[in-house]
Amino acid sequence: MLHLEREGIVRVKGLPFVARFKWSTGFLMERFIKSLAEKKLLGAKCPSCGYTYVPPRSRCGKCLTKLGEKNLVELSGRGVLVGYTTAYVGLDGEGNFVDLEKPRVIGAIKLEGADSTIFMPIGEIDPEGVREGMEVEPKWREATRGELADIEYFKPSR
Amino acid sequence: MRRVAIVGYAQTQHQFDMQKTREDMVFEVVKEALSHAGITRGEVDTVVTASTDFLDGRTISSVFLSMAVGAYLKDESKTEEDGTSAAWYAFMRILSGVHDVALVEAHTQGSTFNPHQVSFYTLDPLFDRQIGVLNDVSAAAIQARMYMSSYGVSEEEIAMVSVKNLSNAAKNPFAQRRMPDLTVEEVLGSKLYYHPIRELMMSPISDGACALVLASEEKAKEITDTPVWIEGVGVCQDFYLRDRNLLELDSLRKAAKDAYEMAGIRDPYAELDVFEVSEKFAHEELMIYEALGLCRRGKGKVLLERGATEKGGEIPVNPSGGALAADPVCATGLVRMVEAAKQIRGEAGEYQIPGVRRALAHGQFGMCAQKNWVFILGGEG
Ligand SMILES: [Zn+2]
Repeated sequence: MLHLEREGIVRVKGLPFVARFKWSTGFLMERFIKSLAEKKLLGAKCPSCGYTYVPPRSRCGKCLTKLGEKNLVELSGRGVLVGYTTAYVGLDGEGNFVDLEKPRVIGAIKLEGADSTIFMPIGEIDPEGVREGMEVEPKWREATRGELADIEYFKPSR
Repeated sequence: MRRVAIVGYAQTQHQFDMQKTREDMVFEVVKEALSHAGITRGEVDTVVTASTDFLDGRTISSVFLSMAVGAYLKDESKTEEDGTSAAWYAFMRILSGVHDVALVEAHTQGSTFNPHQVSFYTLDPLFDRQIGVLNDVSAAAIQARMYMSSYGVSEEEIAMVSVKNLSNAAKNPFAQRRMPDLTVEEVLGSKLYYHPIRELMMSPISDGACALVLASEEKAKEITDTPVWIEGVGVCQDFYLRDRNLLELDSLRKAAKDAYEMAGIRDPYAELDVFEVSEKFAHEELMIYEALGLCRRGKGKVLLERGATEKGGEIPVNPSGGALAADPVCATGLVRMVEAAKQIRGEAGEYQIPGVRRALAHGQFGMCAQKNWVFILGGEG
């Protein structure tokens, strides 16, 4: 069903075009990404309603209060798995689902002190052994550089 | 307030690769909707379409479609997302009093580019796209598992939704998946993508288009003896995936509440005769029952098991087969409106539910049904 290559397709240039976008991350997101170098996870706590965003946001979506540097809070990094799935396929970026050699676990994680849920790969675990409510923590890469890739995945605590 | 009615409609036969250009597909469906209404292109005041640039693979996705929808030298605009958004917009244009007849059109050719890959590009570019684990299917799988473990729902019970809808679709000549003898075992034996979501628990990739004609009360009565009135509408969107409760379809619940209030409906279970909903994944249909107020939270499976939502049940849901039977993405919700209108006019052929006076049609867009549109349609008067 998902096999998109067929005989007789004539390829044309220009579709899709390649555009290199330069998005501004905003100051809080920049702090979040740079703090990963020190193996720190930052959130932004709304001073009005208390909702804590991770990654941080510069405006509260719940009550529309402006959030700034002083609203950044450091999180412990520990979290609880509130949901998960085991992936048997992945998208290759070009519109194809490709079968994975080994199934991979994707987790929905509530970090301690945060209200947002983040969706991260879960490693060092047998897919059969995953349970909702499990405690997880980040697996940092050896030499962190202040990039999102500094977090390799989350893994069961201890 | 003015009253607005559906007075004509058409849809394509939805299929994976229809071997037709987008322009021809749209032209043909629009022509058929106008002839179904019995009006000419010249009688249309305003044209509203729905499609999405990423899905069509074109910036300003309505480009080169003005001809196909007959909109040259006419008032024309395009909405994004599901076709129910275009219907909602066209409805308001008629309510404004400026226009009397509106043409609504929506389409997607899923064979152009995998819509699941496109879903990845709806994510936060600064975080979730970089992490790279989410798409509409993996997000739906996480939601399905949360729903299953919170309310004790089994994979078999979710597969029963697919069995109901895909066997209903066997009688629908426009559907893509028509599977009269499908079993729960076959659904659970289909290809596993993200546990528990399997191929037959997710909507297929379809090419298709849908068009409908809306008219003000005076015009509607001139055009047809059987107008289908828009009695209520509700639209609502939820927070971004990270900041919403995936166990609930809160925005659908709110949209339905608004639509019921506008239509004067207090008890949807008793007052509505048929439901056409956009369940992109089988488990979503159970969550949709709950959000529409047909049962309490977590009790969707009870309605299904009791047969209440079967064609012969008290509240038939998706007698046409729903989105699981065909999903030409932006057209899918508009198809639900057409199917609901067909039920009211007694035009649903082999899947006609007897005695339908009022029906609900639902469209959705975004991951885990982030945005929802609900229409209440009614006959007579
Ligand atoms: Zn706030």
